[in-house]
Amino acid sequence: MAETNPRIISNGRRYMGNMAVASVLYTAAVFGGAFAIRGGEAPQWLAITAALLPLLPALLMLRAYAIFLKGIDEFQRRIQTDAMLVSAAVVGFGSFAYGFLEEWADFPHLPLIWVFPALIGIWGLAACILRLRYK
Amino acid sequence: MRNRLKVLRAERNWSQADLADKLDVSRQSVNAIETGKYDPSLPLAFKIAQVFGLPIEQIFSADEVAQAAE
Repeated sequence: MAETNPRIISNGRRYMGNMAVASVLYTAAVFGGAFAIRGGEAPQWLAITAALLPLLPALLMLRAYAIFLKGIDEFQRRIQTDAMLVSAAVVGFGSFAYGFLEEWADFPHLPLIWVFPALIGIWGLAACILRLRYK
Repeated sequence: MRNRLKVLRAERNWSQADLADKLDVSRQSVNAIETGKYDPSLPLAFKIAQVFGLPIEQIFSADEVAQAAE
């Protein structure tokens, strides 16, 4: 049965809207940054600016999530925080273990850029699984 | 913790969505509390008591207390 509480529904819609805007800005920042440093001869200041530019919309995403978290009820917040703990444990422990494998067992090097997306992805997956548990 | 939410709701002919609206929580939260999968915080438990117009101990009881009464 779908959600019926208007405040909860509007909070979810606001979150989707804020996330959509941040995602569009993020995509623009990534493509804009890559375009700015094309050819590999951009000055260092431009390369640093281009590299850090996507962080601004990523911060907007975190802000959207923080607003969403404030607008949900205590039970939903519990699901979200449990999912975040699962994600932090899985990604933290996983990257720690992989670090040893890289250093001592010649496993291929993985860029750190994947840590944050992995945190978000596993958090989302864990939230879905936890929500199903309470159905 | 055990609760009589489902019975009290049925007595008043309220759906889970009706109760969720009165408590300003999601319907999923009402369902989780009713099925005993989630124990509400003290402020929410008091709000539930207020909505039903009953003392909190007539709605919620500790597992051991409920077992002793059975």
